[in-house]
Amino acid sequence: MVSAKTKVINPMGMHMRPAQLFIKEVTPFGCDVFINFNGKDINAKSIMNLMAACIKQGSEIEIKCDGDNEEACLKAAVALVESGLGE
Amino acid sequence: MRIIDLLSKEKIVLGTQAKDKADAIEKMVDLQAKSGCLKDRETYKQAILAREAQSSTAIEAGIAVPHAKSETVTKPSLCAMTLQQGVDYGAMDGQPSDLFFMIAAPLDGDLHLEILSHLMVLLMDPEFLAQLRGAKDAEEFLSVIDRFETAKYGEAQPAAAAPEKQGTRILAVTACPTGIAHTYMAAEALEKAAKEMGLTIKVETNGSGGVKNRLTAEEIENADGIIVAADKNVETARFAGKKVLFVPVSDGIHKPKQLIEQIESGSVAVYEHKGQVEETSTEKNESIGRQLYKHLMNGVSHMLPFVIGGGILIAIAFLLDDYSINPASFGTNTPLAAFFKTVGDTAFNFMLPILAGYIAYSIADRPGLAVGFVGGYIAKVGNSFANISGENAISGGFLAALLAGFVAGYLVLAIRKVSSKLPESMEGIKPVLIYPLFGVFFIGVFMFAVNPIMAAINSGIVNLLNSMGGSSKILLGAIVAGMMSIDMGGPFNKAAYVFGTASIASGNYDIMAAVMIGGMIPPLAIALATTFFKKKFTADERKSGVVNYIMGLCFITEGAIPFAASDPLRVIPSCVVGSAVAGGLSMMFGCTLRAPHGGIFVFPVVGNVFGYLIALAAGAVVGMLMLGILKKDKVSE
Repeated sequence: MVSAKTKVINPMGMHMRPAQLFIKEVTPFGCDVFINFNGKDINAKSIMNLMAACIKQGSEIEIKCDGDNEEACLKAAVALVESGLGE
Repeated sequence: MRIIDLLSKEKIVLGTQAKDKADAIEKMVDLQAKSGCLKDRETYKQAILAREAQSSTAIEAGIAVPHAKSETVTKPSLCAMTLQQGVDYGAMDGQPSDLFFMIAAPLDGDLHLEILSHLMVLLMDPEFLAQLRGAKDAEEFLSVIDRFETAKYGEAQPAAAAPEKQGTRILAVTACPTGIAHTYMAAEALEKAAKEMGLTIKVETNGSGGVKNRLTAEEIENADGIIVAADKNVETARFAGKKVLFVPVSDGIHKPKQLIEQIESGSVAVYEHKGQVEETSTEKNESIGRQLYKHLMNGVSHMLPFVIGGGILIAIAFLLDDYSINPASFGTNTPLAAFFKTVGDTAFNFMLPILAGYIAYSIADRPGLAVGFVGGYIAKVGNSFANISGENAISGGFLAALLAGFVAGYLVLAIRKVSSKLPESMEGIKPVLIYPLFGVFFIGVFMFAVNPIMAAINSGIVNLLNSMGGSSKILLGAIVAGMMSIDMGGPFNKAAYVFGTASIASGNYDIMAAVMIGGMIPPLAIALATTFFKKKFTADERKSGVVNYIMGLCFITEGAIPFAASDPLRVIPSCVVGSAVAGGLSMMFGCTLRAPHGGIFVFPVVGNVFGYLIALAAGAVVGMLMLGILKKDKVSE
């Protein structure tokens, strides 16, 4: 398992559209993806779980990838979050 | 925030039909529109469609959560719909959607993120979904949500909701020179930015319609910082000791967030007010008398420079003039003297309008100013319906100007109250059209109606004095001299003065002597009092008191007006008694005067000048002692 810390920078936080984008981005890699936020691991491939976490702008999150292509997946996920999740 | 609070029976439709995604959206937008949370249905629908065009809001398990943030949404709202047959809503898992929650969120804040999050937490529970889909009617649907929500979050505020930063209290003042648009734009921008940042803010607008949403002393006391976004002077003394950020009004409009962040960071310097602290800090428990006094003093303090500047110039005119050329027009006999006299008189002409104008300004803010000026000017000229041009009219004097100022101020407040019923679209033309038009009109009517009373007082007194001609000369002298200081330019003063000058024409020179000495006493008594009873006056009053020596000696009674106006019930009786003593003594000593004006500069032509000086000194000292006894200490200075 690999992990990296990053920060959500887009103004509206992890609302539905960014969450969908995030899932689309990480799903093809095939590994499990979790986001640790507020001390809880969230299944980052479930739109409902991601939304339920209510991750707002400025939140520190830790992305964890476990399984096939975990390195590449983590790299892509962090890059996406740091780019502002498409916003 | 609870889901249950955003939803209601009317906004839930169960087991209905929809042809396709577009149809489903149409039905839900109708539900929202009916609930009254939208300014415009179409705008909201377009926002929903635009959102769907970016990516479908269908999630898993047949659920879709269409949502839009839009300025057309007036209050956050949720509606729910279930379909008998699911429609293809473009879900990632390819499943048809049959359970919908549509969110309408206002433009500001993270609210829709919270609603979504909240909803998702509930929707992840398969049991919750099953019960929702099994609900027979809207009531049961609501009770399911209530039950699960309470189980999950408890009755109170949900833990997931972001804690609002309660502590920081930010205040702001916005103002621009015209006070029509920018003031309010900046206020709106600041309020919006603060809301987005989850902060509380209160913005006072200093527009042309007057101060609105005024910051109270308590709020200022509790505030962490104050933003002053203004291109004109605003009252800042009240902010002394607080962190205050001064910026142009345009920064308030364009950079509200940065300003608030700057206040939040605590890096703003503490403001020290230079100059005297305005007496506004105790507004909450101010008595009516205290408020009236504040309005009065605003008028007096603005009038003072005109009195001092004009008074000294007129004194210079007498100093430079040659009495012997024409005693009747002393002060304007030589061109140089005439110049000083004319300029000084011009300044004096502003006194009453300024007094009334700034009293009204203090009461009703900017809209009061013009109305007060006009009222004060009419008081000065003395126009009436019988004498519309005001030619040779009797001036109402400063007492009428005081009346004009207060009436003008409260008149504008009344107009403002009445016109608050006008539609909001008229807001912009109120300060530029409605307040000035109706204010000036009504103060004109009022003053024209009041001035004849002044004229009647005047002619009544002249008749009285004429009828007294044969009785005691000493009493007559005391009365005319006392009248000179009752209103210092109003009907009493003018009646006495006219009586004096008329007596010169008929060869009785003693009355004019008593009249002039009566007019010289008030400034002299006040000047002496400011010297010997320092405690009774403010620092400013003491400074202008010195000028009153000059004005008193020059027979410029107006020098006493600022003092009389600010404390009439004590100053006027003192002056009247002092003047009466002097006038009576002057008569007793048989003093005479053949010039209608000039003060000390015409003393060479006074008959029995020695007795006249004694009378003057005695009257001034009596007046001073009266002031010393009657006036209260100014503790605050």
